[in-house]
Amino acid sequence: MDIELNEDQTMLQDMTRRFLEDRSPIGALRKQVNASESFDRDVWKEGAELGWIALFVPEENGGIAESAGGVEDAAIVAEELGRVVFSGPFISTCAVTFAIAQSGSAEQREAHLPGLAAGETLGAWCLSGRGPMAGIDAGAITAKASGNGFELNGSAAFVQDAADADLLLVTAADGDGISQFVIPSDSAGVSIEAMEALDLGRRLYVVKFDSVKAEADALLGEAGKAQDALEKQLQTVLALQCAETVGVTDRTFEFTLEWVNDRYAFGRPIGSYQGLKHRLARHCGHLEGAKAAASYAARAVRNDAPDAAIAVSVAKSHCGRMSTEIIRDCLQMHGGIGLTWEHDIHLYLRRAVSNEQLWGSPAAHHERLCQLAGV
Amino acid sequence: MQNNPAAEIVVKTTEDQDTDEVRAFRLRAREWMKDNLPPRLPHEAGNDFDDAKLVERDREIQKKLHAAGFGGHQGITVPVEYGGLGLDQRFEDVFLEEASPYRLPWSYGNATNIAMPCILGHGTEEQKKKYVRKILDGTHLWAQLLSEPSGGSDLAGVLTRAEQREDGNWYLNGSKVWTTGGHHCDMGLCLARTDPTVRKHAGLTMFLVDFHQPGMTVNPIKLVMGGSEFCQEFLDDVVVPDADRLGEVNGGWKVAQTQLASERKGMARGWHVGMHRAETSPYIEPNARYGKIAKKLGTENDSYTRAMIGELIVYDAVSDLIGKRINTGLRSGKFHGEAGAIPSLMSSVFDIDRTKLVSAICGPEAIASVDEKSANGVGMSRVSTHRIGGGTLETQMNLVAERHLGLPRELGPAPDTPFNELRSNKTAKIA
Ligand SMILES: Cc1cc2nc3c(=O)[nH]c(=O)nc-3n(C[C@H](O)[C@H](O)[C@H](O)COP(=O)(O)OP(=O)(O)OC[C@H]3O[C@@H](n4cnc5c(N)ncnc54)[C@H](O)[C@@H]3O)c2cc1C
Ligand SMILES: Cc1cc2nc3c(=O)[nH]c(=O)nc-3n(C[C@H](O)[C@H](O)[C@H](O)COP(=O)(O)OP(=O)(O)OC[C@H]3O[C@@H](n4cnc5c(N)ncnc54)[C@H](O)[C@@H]3O)c2cc1C
Repeated sequence: MDIELNEDQTMLQDMTRRFLEDRSPIGALRKQVNASESFDRDVWKEGAELGWIALFVPEENGGIAESAGGVEDAAIVAEELGRVVFSGPFISTCAVTFAIAQSGSAEQREAHLPGLAAGETLGAWCLSGRGPMAGIDAGAITAKASGNGFELNGSAAFVQDAADADLLLVTAADGDGISQFVIPSDSAGVSIEAMEALDLGRRLYVVKFDSVKAEADALLGEAGKAQDALEKQLQTVLALQCAETVGVTDRTFEFTLEWVNDRYAFGRPIGSYQGLKHRLARHCGHLEGAKAAASYAARAVRNDAPDAAIAVSVAKSHCGRMSTEIIRDCLQMHGGIGLTWEHDIHLYLRRAVSNEQLWGSPAAHHERLCQLAGV
Repeated sequence: MQNNPAAEIVVKTTEDQDTDEVRAFRLRAREWMKDNLPPRLPHEAGNDFDDAKLVERDREIQKKLHAAGFGGHQGITVPVEYGGLGLDQRFEDVFLEEASPYRLPWSYGNATNIAMPCILGHGTEEQKKKYVRKILDGTHLWAQLLSEPSGGSDLAGVLTRAEQREDGNWYLNGSKVWTTGGHHCDMGLCLARTDPTVRKHAGLTMFLVDFHQPGMTVNPIKLVMGGSEFCQEFLDDVVVPDADRLGEVNGGWKVAQTQLASERKGMARGWHVGMHRAETSPYIEPNARYGKIAKKLGTENDSYTRAMIGELIVYDAVSDLIGKRINTGLRSGKFHGEAGAIPSLMSSVFDIDRTKLVSAICGPEAIASVDEKSANGVGMSRVSTHRIGGGTLETQMNLVAERHLGLPRELGPAPDTPFNELRSNKTAKIA
């Protein structure tokens, strides 16, 4: 994705690609779907051993953060996961891990990070509800002081991987402050209800909080002061999601190019018709734009650049809209075969369409960009 | 790991890195510019061939720059024997830093960005000594005589004929069109057909044509915006000495390729060299213009307008990031040269989308206004088009699809068909 990968990053990319081709190619998702399984725990643990999650975790908590490239490296992994439409809790677990590594107390870090890094503990992030700013704005869950701790109420939607998660990261709004908590997913008063999701490799839930008790030691950072931490978490998730979307689109574009070269109609490869060619040229340009924007965003987030907030929203808007436009048109170029269940392209399109809306729709990010630009 | 972006911030001057020699050059330039260069006005066009005064002033600036020992615009790195200073890039960078408050002679863009590299790349020693010097000392403004009434995209299909007669001179007959600044130019790079009996790319030759001669008629063309920046030329036995043939006889396509590549390179780098330097930022900076329009119209809280403004910020950022990405890839060798067509295509694509949205946020104010003359300029940019010059949008899409993505070429006549057996606009009409 990034045009300037260094040697370590190229190695990480190659290693991840080979691992996934071997252990979790696109066919794996099809098998899981047919068998109504969610994801393969063995593959997840092997992936974790390759450092997928550990790269956010400091060495003292069982990770490799000091020698890894943070969200930039994670974005390389995410892109590879996109190429095979991976079914597994990558983005959600990264989000929770990043949040605990960023804001957790020594005790919280020690309690949770080693298990997350090893692929044994899974996490899900309950951020927002439904509505136009879903995936960006907190406010679906409230926290009020109660006894030694807090009481959580409300309902988060579009929560990825909640049913498989051991830990829930809960972002609550109280008055004008944001507070965050890490609680076990089986806490009393938590109920998890599956949503019917379009992406066959992504499980989404509504998570309800009915007078859920969060002890004081569940509070992540300071009460009411988590706004900046939340922004950083959101940036991290968006950088990963955009990288994944790039992988999804890049792979689809690759096999579509092969197809239009190989497929003949009217005595010529269909790729020789300008009616297709011009569309492909534009898609190529927009895909380069997606790669440029996603890699720029990952780097900006990692470096805490002054434009990191803008960069992730730019990337989300462009990757979100263009990936669906490109893949939908690639499907069109496949003719009738592209509409069949047996062809892989719908798996890619479903992931792209879903990513376009999760963690803020393009329209929500356009609004966010106006706010960031002082409009 | 990656560089810290803070290290890439472009500072306004790089004085702290000057060697003694560079510093002396900088101070001399600074001192001289104060009294000799006109100020750079924020709203003044880089070039505008409809504005004869601007063109004449640029001629004066170029002459002064050369006479004062600065080698003329873009001449600092050109060898001394061709009229430049023969210094390395650092001196040019320093010069441009110091020039940032002043006007530079950007009317010479075609001369310095296109004619100069073509002559330096393909010219004889005499041609370089004569013509490069005359660009740098301000004598010659240059035009590109490529497109013809019968077609511009299919450049290798030009019909203008060049014949060598007994006196050794070449005689050119035909017509060229869309020549930027033709009515102000002194010289032109003219692609003409020297052999119609071979395949079309193989029968072309490039000539250095003097505009100031009786056979050359130059007629300005009025464009949709109202101005006349372009001309049509009629060549009626225009005389070119053989010494002014650039490159081999029937080797003109090779020169034309350098010419087109120089144009693309110049456009990618920024046509008006030195103009944008000081403003370059390594960060995404949303354009304040969109919010200002909305404020003025009282629509800044309208959610539809806000969604469009957000989208505009995305267009600008991505368009810019594509250019940076492809240029980085071209430099590192990760991309082949053909990828250079991608940013050029995408900047046109984003221009079209941007124009649509800006016009939409302006609403009726884009087409007529009581208090501001420039207002309907916004609407006019939907009428005038910026995706014809330098290769049309379709031409660029063909380039990306066929050269970069490697898709099969369009079927056409057999590649070795002699030119005079091809159908052209002329022959098609007769037939
Ligand atoms: C819902 C549905 C119902 C159908 N019902 C029937 C039915 O009852 N009976 C039946 O016989 N068939 C039926 N079909 C098949 C349908 O007619 C074909 O799928 C269609 O003609 C396209 O052919 P193809 O799938 O082989 O794609 P191809 O012909 O291989 O085309 C692939 C792609 O190339 C493009 N392409 C091809 N040639 C050109 C060109 N010259 N210029 C530009 N682009 C080109 C196409 O537009 C397409 O995007 C049905 C298909 C569907 C999806
Ligand atoms: C701002 C500007 C500055 C210019 N400056 C100069 C200059 O200084 N010197 C000079 O010589 N020329 C100049 N031109 C001319 C320019 O290069 C031509 O206008 C351009 O190459 C297109 O040629 P044409 O106008 O003859 O259109 P045509 O080539 O006739 O094209 C007509 C339409 O057909 C499309 N078309 C043509 N071939 C194909 C194909 N194979 N596939 C799909 N579509 C196709 C084109 O994209 C276009 O939409 C300038 C033009 C502009 C607008």
